[in-house]
Amino acid sequence: MLSEERVILMTKMASYEEHEGKKYMKIGRYFRDDYIAVQILKSIFCATLAFALIFAIFIFYDFEVFMQDIYKMDLVEFATRVLTYYGITVVVYGAGSYGVCAYRYNRAKKSLKLYYQNLKKLNALYDEG
Amino acid sequence: MTALLELRDKLKYFYSKNEVFILPVIKFLLAFVTLLVINGQMGYMLKVNNVAVVLIAALMCSFLPTFCIILFAALFTLLHMYALALEIAVVGVVVYLLMFLLFFRFAPKDSLVVVLTPLLCFLKVPYIMPVVMGLLGTPASAVSVCCGIVVYYLLLAVTANAATINTMNAGDATAKLRLVVDALMDNKAMLVMVVAFALTVVVVYLIRRMSVDYSWTIAMVAGAILNLVVLLVGDLIYETNISLVGAILGNLLALAVAKVIEFFRFCVDYSRAEKVQFEDDEYYYYVKAVPKMTVAAPTKTVKRINTQRRPSGRYDAPAGGRSVTIGRRQGEPQDDYEELF
Repeated sequence: MLSEERVILMTKMASYEEHEGKKYMKIGRYFRDDYIAVQILKSIFCATLAFALIFAIFIFYDFEVFMQDIYKMDLVEFATRVLTYYGITVVVYGAGSYGVCAYRYNRAKKSLKLYYQNLKKLNALYDEG
Repeated sequence: MTALLELRDKLKYFYSKNEVFILPVIKFLLAFVTLLVINGQMGYMLKVNNVAVVLIAALMCSFLPTFCIILFAALFTLLHMYALALEIAVVGVVVYLLMFLLFFRFAPKDSLVVVLTPLLCFLKVPYIMPVVMGLLGTPASAVSVCCGIVVYYLLLAVTANAATINTMNAGDATAKLRLVVDALMDNKAMLVMVVAFALTVVVVYLIRRMSVDYSWTIAMVAGAILNLVVLLVGDLIYETNISLVGAILGNLLALAVAKVIEFFRFCVDYSRAEKVQFEDDEYYYYVKAVPKMTVAAPTKTVKRINTQRRPSGRYDAPAGGRSVTIGRRQGEPQDDYEELF
């Protein structure tokens, strides 16, 4: 027998699975710490690449002067300064990523909890019918 | 008002019925206008500066995912920069990559804003973007709008220095790069626009989420005023030469567009708002419920007076003509509650 309530619930759930649920289910497969760790690793990679790009532009911006000064400058101090800036970039971006990922994980879990409740409800409707 | 609500419902129905056709047409138009504006402003590579090429690219964008509009727009700008000088294209690639690596990894849906903001800047109406994104987006949209502003000023820096770059030799590679980087980094107008737009997005978002009557209207008006004030203060401090009349008219236009968006997204009747209070085992609830303004879809009643004559052999129908009456019934406003809090 066709149950209107069941059909409505299934349609809503199918729509959820097709749209936002797809994204949340991907997140929901991970444990919280694993998800955040993977995302932070990606962030560190991106921050490293971004820093390398900015550094390349910085060097190329005054290339002649840089090449003239390279023999005079204290290379260890220069490298320390560059690494400090790199560290700050990675830490700040990593911390920002941590906040975003933690928020996203919590939201995904809440949304999936509701989805699983609907699944249970659907199961109960089938049992009734 | 009822007529407008009916029109809105009809438009919604029309869109949902023909979404398969309307969406590609919108994507095509957006891509076509964007690429035409890019070619009009830059146009250094003659092979790309061609309507046929733009048409082909826009047609491809119409059936590819929305993200491809951004890709094509970035590709077109990079090709024009490359035609001007390789070093300029390198700066363009670095700016785009930085945006992609640091921000759009987290908010890929917002990336269309990076195309729309420079487009509106070129059309002299950028003030629409922060107000609209504050209403429809999240505080993170402020970053997207700011990225769009940076892209606009990058393109402006390239076009403004194009004549100088053309006179330089191939050996002046670093000088060319320095010219564009300096034009971008020392641009106070860009700084003022970025601060004004970011603040506007955040303030509009915060006010429209508040549980006060007419929050959307208050948010858009406050956003437009704040935008104007920050632009004027920035102009006074940094002498950015922002057109005051343009800014006022632009913000008025932004208000008009925001009002239209409000009508489609958040049309509620505050005069019928209700405040209720109840409790369960764990919480006390203070709920404000504001009914949405809707009208029931007009129903068509087809009344058959005589059944249609069918070929003999199937069933016997009485002789005579057929008369159909179509009645149109306007519905009463319905209470469809929007929970605000």
